[in-house]
Amino acid sequence: MGLRLDTIRECLEGVIPGHIATCDGEGMPNLAYLSQVQFIDNDHVALSYQFFNRTRQNILAGSSVCLMLTSHLTGAQYRLTLEYLRTETAGPLFEQMKAKLAGIASHTGMSGVFRLLGSDIYRILGIEQVPGPTVAPPPPTVNYLTALRRATGRLAECGNLARLLESALDCLGSEFGIGHVMLLMHDDGRGRLYTLASRGYPQSGIGSEIPVGAGVIGICARERIPIRIGFMTSEYGYGRTVRDSVEADGQGDSLEMAIPLPGLPEAGSQLAVPITAYDRLLGVIYLENVADLHFGYDDEDALVAFAAQLGLAMHHHQEAEELAEDDSSPEVTPPAPAGAPLRARHFAANDSVFLDDDYLIKGVAGAILWTLLSDFVERRRTVFTNKGLRVDPRIRLPGVSDNLEARLVLLQRRLEERGAGIHLNKTGRGRFSLAVERPLELVSD
Amino acid sequence: MLDSDNAAFIQTGVSISLASCGPDHLPSMSRGLGCKLLDGGGQVCVFVRRSQSDALLDHIGHSSRVANVFSLPSSNRTVQLKGDDARIVPFAIADLPIVDSHIADFILEVMPLGMPEAVVRAILAFRPDDLVSVVYAPCAAYSQTPGPKAGERLG
Repeated sequence: MGLRLDTIRECLEGVIPGHIATCDGEGMPNLAYLSQVQFIDNDHVALSYQFFNRTRQNILAGSSVCLMLTSHLTGAQYRLTLEYLRTETAGPLFEQMKAKLAGIASHTGMSGVFRLLGSDIYRILGIEQVPGPTVAPPPPTVNYLTALRRATGRLAECGNLARLLESALDCLGSEFGIGHVMLLMHDDGRGRLYTLASRGYPQSGIGSEIPVGAGVIGICARERIPIRIGFMTSEYGYGRTVRDSVEADGQGDSLEMAIPLPGLPEAGSQLAVPITAYDRLLGVIYLENVADLHFGYDDEDALVAFAAQLGLAMHHHQEAEELAEDDSSPEVTPPAPAGAPLRARHFAANDSVFLDDDYLIKGVAGAILWTLLSDFVERRRTVFTNKGLRVDPRIRLPGVSDNLEARLVLLQRRLEERGAGIHLNKTGRGRFSLAVERPLELVSD
Repeated sequence: MLDSDNAAFIQTGVSISLASCGPDHLPSMSRGLGCKLLDGGGQVCVFVRRSQSDALLDHIGHSSRVANVFSLPSSNRTVQLKGDDARIVPFAIADLPIVDSHIADFILEVMPLGMPEAVVRAILAFRPDDLVSVVYAPCAAYSQTPGPKAGERLG
């Protein structure tokens, strides 16, 4: 059996540039250095096409290609014989390579010079290891198969969405050794992602938003493909990118800007992995690290497999909450709360809710909270169901595909973080209760 | 063909690669381990490892054509030379200091970029009796530094 490309993928990270040799029609060789080689599968790679140069001319004229790769971990050199197939100038592969190239360009002082014009796709005809000594690679920091086995086992034990999300982030820390992570949910109707949980930041950022298509997280969501960047680059910094993008499309008011996104100020490595189930994008897991090249192909593979399990479990819990029957248990009227009143104010234009003049939340979660509080004040109602909210005309949920349970988790967490004395407590499948510790004064604008 | 600046440049701690083409236009390549200039700069002599260069040496023997790239990792400054009269000559043991100093210069060049010395030494490891020299008179020279002047002919 010949050498498999998936066993030498560290050569493709761009630390040591690849060398590409071609030949023109007259038999004159040409050599060029190559910024990036992208693994597709064991039979295909994509090379970055950045300049129309002699290499490009030779390839388009049908030249065979000899590609030399070098491992920055072992010093091993490999020669690949390639056959050009086609060029892609848009789509998931192109976006993956474009993002990675931005990091490489920044690292090599070539920002503004390196620009991806296309992803040239090649068939691998052969891989040969060049004879010569090598050094032992550094030992891996994580056994990904063990981490994956343990993490998926823990996901399977979770009884509801809130626990699942907690467990997922705990697993990324304890099993995969990841220190900085965010989990964002997809708001399909608004083309947004909202942060539902995070680890490793001074502020949780729960409720903060990012548009689909903006920065490393937004592009991952739009293309539904992992985006991995190995070196710090301002081009894909999500904080600034969000603001630029939102201002550009004139939607500053609709995006959640009051809650800042968490994030490392200078991430050397970034990895965004989509969470999907049955062809639907559910959200994005985003990981980052201050070190360069912290995440490799193996991390990406492990996280994609983890996200696949997580997506199926999220889908299952969402369905289960939606299908649960209305609760027939009797309403228990709570004693009237005492103490200083809490003033909740609602602005109908964007469904924003303020508690004692402090902003809490807006959008669908804001509409849900206002509905709950209104029913509580008007009817002393404390017991609610997902099904009831789904058909409540005051909430205007975007559609049945919307993850209502995730919005309830978001709302619950924002309330707990605020500590204003309003609590949502899960009481069963598709059921929850509202608890209010202070007298409520509702003001509607 | 090479001005004094580029002549000096290719003899510093640059990364060196040498390519050729076979009769069926299949390209081949190997890393170089330093070079020297002959005939007052009219010819370039590049050192390669025979054990890593079967196809390359075979192709040079057949076509005499070579492409030779010199690139400085810290600046990305890159020069490509072409030759159509390349020939393979035995390695002169007197050239060993050139190889040694090239490797030392290259290590100094790439260590600040984060490359471990042991890895670089593995990539450039050689036995003197495995070395062979390829000599050619450059017939064309190009700047290949990424940017607006990439591909521009030198000299």
